[in-house]
Amino acid sequence: MALTRPSTSTRGASRRSAGASRWQRLWYGDWLLWAAVLSLSALGVLLVAAATKPLNSTHPFSLAKHQLVFLAVGVVLAVVAAVINYRAIRASAPVVYLLALLGLVATFVVGVEVNGSRAWLSLGGGLTIEPSEFAKLAVIVLSALIVNARAAQRTGIGDLDVAALLGLFAVPSGLVLLQRDLGTVLVIVVIFFGVLAVGGAAARWLTGLTALTILAAVLVVKLHLLHGYQQARLTAFLHPESGTQTYAYNAIQARIAIGSGGLHGTGLFHGPQINNGYVFAAHTDFIFATAGEELGFIGAGLIIVLLGVVLWRGLRIAAHAPDLFGRVTAAGIVCWLAFESFENIGMNLGIMPITGIPLQFVSYGGSSLFASMLAIGLLQNIAIQTKIAARIARE
Amino acid sequence: MVTTTARPRPRSASPGRVPRRIPAARPQRPPRLPLPRGSRLRLAAPHRRLHAILLAVTFVVIIFAVRLVELQGIDGRAYARQATAQYLHTQTLPAPRGEIVDRDGAVLAASVDARDIVVDPSITKDSTDPTPQAIAAKLARVLHVPASRLLGPLTGSGRFAYLARGVTPQIAAAVLALDLPGVAAQPVMERVYPNGDLGAQVIGFVGTDGNGLGGLEYAYNRQLVGKPGKRTVETGSNGTVLPDGTTALVEPIPGVGLQLTLDRDIQWKAEQALAAQVAATGAEGGTVIVMRPSTGEILAMASVPTFDPAHPESAPPGVLGNPAVSDVFEPGSTAKVITMAAAIDSGILTPTSPIDVPPTLQRVGRTFHDAEPHGEEHLTLTGVLAESSNIGAILASEKIGTDRLYHYLRAFGLGEPTGLHFPGESAGMVGTPATWSASQRYTIPYGQGIAVTALQVADVYATIANGGVRVTPRLVKGFLQPDGTIDPAPPPDRTRVISAATAAALEQMLEAVTTDQGTAPEARIPGYRVAGKTGTAQRVEPSCGCYRGYTASFVGFAPADDPQLLALVVLDNPVNGHFGGAVAAPVFRDVMSFALETLKIPPTGTTPPSLPLRVSPDGRPVG
Repeated sequence: MALTRPSTSTRGASRRSAGASRWQRLWYGDWLLWAAVLSLSALGVLLVAAATKPLNSTHPFSLAKHQLVFLAVGVVLAVVAAVINYRAIRASAPVVYLLALLGLVATFVVGVEVNGSRAWLSLGGGLTIEPSEFAKLAVIVLSALIVNARAAQRTGIGDLDVAALLGLFAVPSGLVLLQRDLGTVLVIVVIFFGVLAVGGAAARWLTGLTALTILAAVLVVKLHLLHGYQQARLTAFLHPESGTQTYAYNAIQARIAIGSGGLHGTGLFHGPQINNGYVFAAHTDFIFATAGEELGFIGAGLIIVLLGVVLWRGLRIAAHAPDLFGRVTAAGIVCWLAFESFENIGMNLGIMPITGIPLQFVSYGGSSLFASMLAIGLLQNIAIQTKIAARIARE
Repeated sequence: MVTTTARPRPRSASPGRVPRRIPAARPQRPPRLPLPRGSRLRLAAPHRRLHAILLAVTFVVIIFAVRLVELQGIDGRAYARQATAQYLHTQTLPAPRGEIVDRDGAVLAASVDARDIVVDPSITKDSTDPTPQAIAAKLARVLHVPASRLLGPLTGSGRFAYLARGVTPQIAAAVLALDLPGVAAQPVMERVYPNGDLGAQVIGFVGTDGNGLGGLEYAYNRQLVGKPGKRTVETGSNGTVLPDGTTALVEPIPGVGLQLTLDRDIQWKAEQALAAQVAATGAEGGTVIVMRPSTGEILAMASVPTFDPAHPESAPPGVLGNPAVSDVFEPGSTAKVITMAAAIDSGILTPTSPIDVPPTLQRVGRTFHDAEPHGEEHLTLTGVLAESSNIGAILASEKIGTDRLYHYLRAFGLGEPTGLHFPGESAGMVGTPATWSASQRYTIPYGQGIAVTALQVADVYATIANGGVRVTPRLVKGFLQPDGTIDPAPPPDRTRVISAATAAALEQMLEAVTTDQGTAPEARIPGYRVAGKTGTAQRVEPSCGCYRGYTASFVGFAPADDPQLLALVVLDNPVNGHFGGAVAAPVFRDVMSFALETLKIPPTGTTPPSLPLRVSPDGRPVG
């Protein structure tokens, strides 16, 4: 699983399209990544159907149909992001970042509260959008642009650059924290470390900021700065025997669902834990439990393997990226997807506390699917630039 | 792999390389693409770091895989068992309890489909949305009980509590429609008594678990209950049973029903007439029994006070039994017929045998009186019975002897349960001649000093009415099988107690009681010949064990020459009048005439015999 191979050339990618039309360039994408992402998404639609069928007897597949529409839109977004002009992405990064901030601010004015987090914007017609999902992408692209620009003059980013990036990340983090969406804040922090690491920040920055983060986390817990439900989730994780609490209850029920799936699972649509409503959020945050019960080790293992493939291809694209912008962007996206997958599957398996983080590509929900599909499109765009650069070099 | 060997400084490196790689064709181009150079120079650290990320991702994937194997492979079976335990539940399906109907099929007790509303307090007590208070408030509106009474079960410990029992399926559906966490409905059978307290003491009642606790409900509980079925159902996380979630089903077997010998209408009349007379005479209570002497079938059996079988818990203590079979009293004069039967059946006396009755009688240091003071009287045996002379009864008993009297007392069924097998039935108290005190030998012939139940007295007269053959009384006529057929109850035992001739003689003597010269002209029913006997007994006050007040009674049958029906009326301690002929006989007349009418029993149209009640001092019958 080598990330890199002897690189022929990494330059000139953006200069011209090397004789390929915009749509022909799609063929230069990473097909293994496409396959893994589409498999995960298709599996996701099936699992959403299985998890939501018992919820609505009159329209058992309404949410699955929604998810199918989301997936179609998401694929279009990914394809567009894959073939769009590489320079245009860089150029639009500041605008996207500002739009994302605007979206986050808007949640405080016209936001909708779901599960204790005021993180949604209503688009009317029952549609809601979660700006924080797109903020992650925006912050990755803008920070990659800054790293790229700053690192051009020296070996890696300097102390001032780190401070600037800190500010760049702090603004959306602060806004998301005000939304009480601690999970997304954690994701942004992880992305920040990924950008710093791949962007070439000094090791002392990485170790120092890691220590600071741990200290801050300890202080927050010790000083009881967490909101009630956050504290409850943490307690439920640390003391699962206090089973009457909803969070500990669901952690236990998810574990029972996964465990009772065995090797083959009970079969799609046939999981009693899911069908009888023992697992809450079985189509969103706990969709991995649905996979575990109904598809067993084979299905749950497949999800882990497919996510592993996505992350591996993403890191490979980062390693081969034609420029630092592409590398940092790809690495940031990988860190984002990796942490969210890790946290989501971890809480389903009972080895992480519960946070409201969905399983990318699989969980029900438009915003997260759109954002992660855009991210995949960006990865593909970078991969395409790499191929084009290689062709130019051969020529 | 990109090597890390060359790390020249970018600024010093670039001028030397640009001319070599990019032709001079574009020298004016600013170094717009420093990246290839920059990145190449600093590839080392980012790639190491990318590898570190890959390593971390691989590590996490391995942890997940191990955890997944642990959950699904190693502990899979245990988790599957846990899952099964929480969503599969075996429910008991209550079997409909057998119906109890009267002799014509009118329903006296029935089972209807009902629901218990139950809750799992472990779900509700810490519930925040909705709170237990909100749940209680919602339930209170549907169940029509104060919310405060529901809050206890909702916040209790354990995993099961009742919120309401025996509500209708409609109310249960309304409760389930509220979609409250932890609240569920369980199917049960509710016992209903469509006629209210009619026949309550005979029918009995059931407990909250549906098992019979009194009366025939208790006596025949084994047949009535049936066999509960069960089903295994899938339940949702809030405890509700999921539709189509039934995986195994054993249908309940309905209980066997009882067809009683009671006639609902006669029972009603008996209860009404008795209650009215108890109220009118200020009695403490009373009993009416109506029987068919030829079959032993009890058509009515009623006592005051009674209770509501649907709510036995609200009945005053001590009234949930059936006094007609469980309460004993000293019968008094109604027992004189046994003395007469013994005398005639053993051939010692005849209905017209003269008995000289002195004003008082001295025996074992006691002076015995009759109810009314009188001078020396010359009565026949019939006259002794008709005028109910205690002294005459003693004199007659002296002719037959104690042992023979005892034999007949027992032969008529006193001192033992009647064979009705009613729960709580008393044997009464007769003792044996050896245990009788000196004075008991003289009081027993006229019915004091022994204790009997009302049914025993009715049984004695039924035996006489039935030509001397005693038929075991019964309340159950047949068993209603679930398939709709009726298994008749086994035929009653028949035992000859006295000869048919003796019985016929006694019938005629008893008819004299309802003549104007007898003690109970009030018992006569126009058009019918009625035979019977009054009783006005000294009553044992339970609190002191002494005699206080009276037990007034009348027992008789009609038509006297072809007895179809027998009725007994007992009033316990009446205060507005206490003679059996005055207070009990009118009730007998009411109930008996209603029963004759209801059962369409015609008068026989024969002329009553005219047995002489008195003899002239020289022994010739008078009258």
